[in-house]
Amino acid sequence: MFPRLNPLTTLTAAVAVLVMTTAAASWAVSLTVAVGAVLLSAAGGTLRRVLVASAAIIVPFWLSLLVIHGLFFPEGRTVLASWGPARVTAEGLSFALEMGLRTAAFVLVLMVFSFSVRVPELVAALTARRVPPQVGYVLASTLLLAPLVAARLEKVRQAQESRGLVVGRGIGSRAAAIRLQMVPLVLGLVHDAGIRAQALDARGFRSAGPRTSYTEARDSAAQAAFRLVAILLALAAVGWRIVESLSAGSLAALSLSGGGPG
Amino acid sequence: MSQPSLTLPPTDRQAVRRRRLLELLGAAAIAATFVFLVLTQPADIAGGLGSVSSLVALGGFLLGALLLIVGVLPTLPTSTVVLIPVALVLNIVLGQLMGTSGLPFYLDSIGTVLIAVLAGPAAGAATGALSSIVWSFFNPTVLPFAAGAALIGFLAGVAARYGLFRRFYLAPVAGFVTGIIAGVVSAPIAAFVFGGTSGAGTGAIVSAFRAMGDTLLAAITKQALISDPMDKAIVFAIAAMLVYALPRRTTFQFPFVRRFRVLAGREPAARNS
Repeated sequence: MFPRLNPLTTLTAAVAVLVMTTAAASWAVSLTVAVGAVLLSAAGGTLRRVLVASAAIIVPFWLSLLVIHGLFFPEGRTVLASWGPARVTAEGLSFALEMGLRTAAFVLVLMVFSFSVRVPELVAALTARRVPPQVGYVLASTLLLAPLVAARLEKVRQAQESRGLVVGRGIGSRAAAIRLQMVPLVLGLVHDAGIRAQALDARGFRSAGPRTSYTEARDSAAQAAFRLVAILLALAAVGWRIVESLSAGSLAALSLSGGGPG
Repeated sequence: MSQPSLTLPPTDRQAVRRRRLLELLGAAAIAATFVFLVLTQPADIAGGLGSVSSLVALGGFLLGALLLIVGVLPTLPTSTVVLIPVALVLNIVLGQLMGTSGLPFYLDSIGTVLIAVLAGPAAGAATGALSSIVWSFFNPTVLPFAAGAALIGFLAGVAARYGLFRRFYLAPVAGFVTGIIAGVVSAPIAAFVFGGTSGAGTGAIVSAFRAMGDTLLAAITKQALISDPMDKAIVFAIAAMLVYALPRRTTFQFPFVRRFRVLAGREPAARNS
C-alpha cells in the first residue's frame, strides 16, 4: 500500500504528524502517534525491521534519560527516594517519560517513512520538483554506496591480514591497525570518485536543461490536496502553540506586575 | 534549433545571485534560531519543556540546513559532488561504531572535515548538513543536529583556507576551537528537542552537572564543552593524516587546495612545462 503513494505525500504526512506532536507536547498524544506508527508499519509489512531498528536507538536513549532526569532533577520538589546526591523526584520521572515518549514517536514515525520509501522514487519526485539534481544524486548514491564501502573495507582488511597484519591487545597496535585499513580505503574511494566525476561530466551531469527519468513517481490531485491539508494543519498547530504560549506569557507578566507593590 | 550545451552550463548571473541569497538566508536562519533559543530559554522546566522552543529549534535549524544545501550544491564542481557520498558513508560507518562504544566521543564528522579541507567551507557546510539528513534514514535522532554539523564543516574549511592544515600539530588546535563553537551551538538541540542527550557516555556527564544543580541547558553546554573539543581535535587530526596520505596528484585536483595552498608543499609540475 505504501509504495503506491508518491514519496512526497508520505514525507509530508510524516513531517506534519511530527510537527503536531511536538506542538501538542503531551505524553498522551506522543503515545498515540507512536502506537499509530507501529500499527502503520504492521499494515505495511515492515513491522519487525522498524521495531528492531527503532529499539536500537530508543532503548539506550531511554536509559540515558532515566539516569539524567530520574536521579538528578534539581527542579523537582516531590522527592520519592534519595541516596546521597541522587534524588528520585516525581517531576523528574514525568519529565523523562514525556521526553522519552516524544522521542519514541519522532524515531518511529521517521523509521516507518524511511523503511517504506523507495529511494529511486523519492529522487524522481524531488527532481520533478526542480530540486537541484545534485541533491538527488548525493541521496541515492550514499544509500547505494554504503554496502559497497563495507565490502571494500572487508577486502582491505583481508589484504592487510594476508600481508601479516595482526591486531594486538594494546591501544597502539589497535590504532596502527585502524590506520592500515583506513588509509587504503579512503585512497581507493577518493580515486574512484575522481573517475566517476569524469564519467558524469562527460554525460552532462552539470547541464541545466530538462532531465528525463527512468522512474516516474505517481502523483494525483487527491494526493496534492492531502499534502496541502497536512501542511496547513501543521502550520495551524504551530500557530496555536505560539498564541497559547504568548497569552500564557502575558498572563504571567500581568500577575507579576499585579503582585509587585505588595 | 538551439539546444543548451550538454557539457558547459551557461553561467547565469541571476541564478548565481539567487543561490548566494539562499546561502546567506540559511546561515541567517541558523544564527537567528540560536540567539532566540538562548534568549528565551525556559527558566523552569519542571512543568514540561516549552514546546515553542522545541518547534523553533527543529524548524529554524532544519530550514537553515536545507537552504544551505540547495544554495551550495549546484555551485560545486562535479569532482566535489561525487566525493560527498563517500564522505557521508565514512561519517556514518565510523559514527555508528563510536555510538555503540559508550565513550563520550562521537567521531561522526571525519568525512565532513575531509571534504572541507579539500573543497572549502561552503562544500564542508553542505556536506555536514547532508550527512545529518541522510543519516537520519538510519537514525532519526541525528536529524535536528544538521545545523551543528554544517557549522563544523564550515569552520573546518575556514581553518584549511588559512593554512592550519599545513602543519600536523595545528590541525588538532583548529579542531579544538571548532569543537567549542559547535558544542555551544548544538547544546540547545539536545536540551530542547530531546531533553538530554542521545548517548550513554555523554548522559553520565550531563547527570553529573545536573547533580550540582545546573539548569538543563547549562549542564548540556558544559558536557558539550568537555566532549566536543576533544572529539573534534581527534577528528581533525585523523582527517589531516588522511589528507597527507593522499597522493598530491589527487589533492591538487581540487581548485581550493591549489588556490589557498591548503597543504604544505609545491604543486606537482605540469607534464609539458
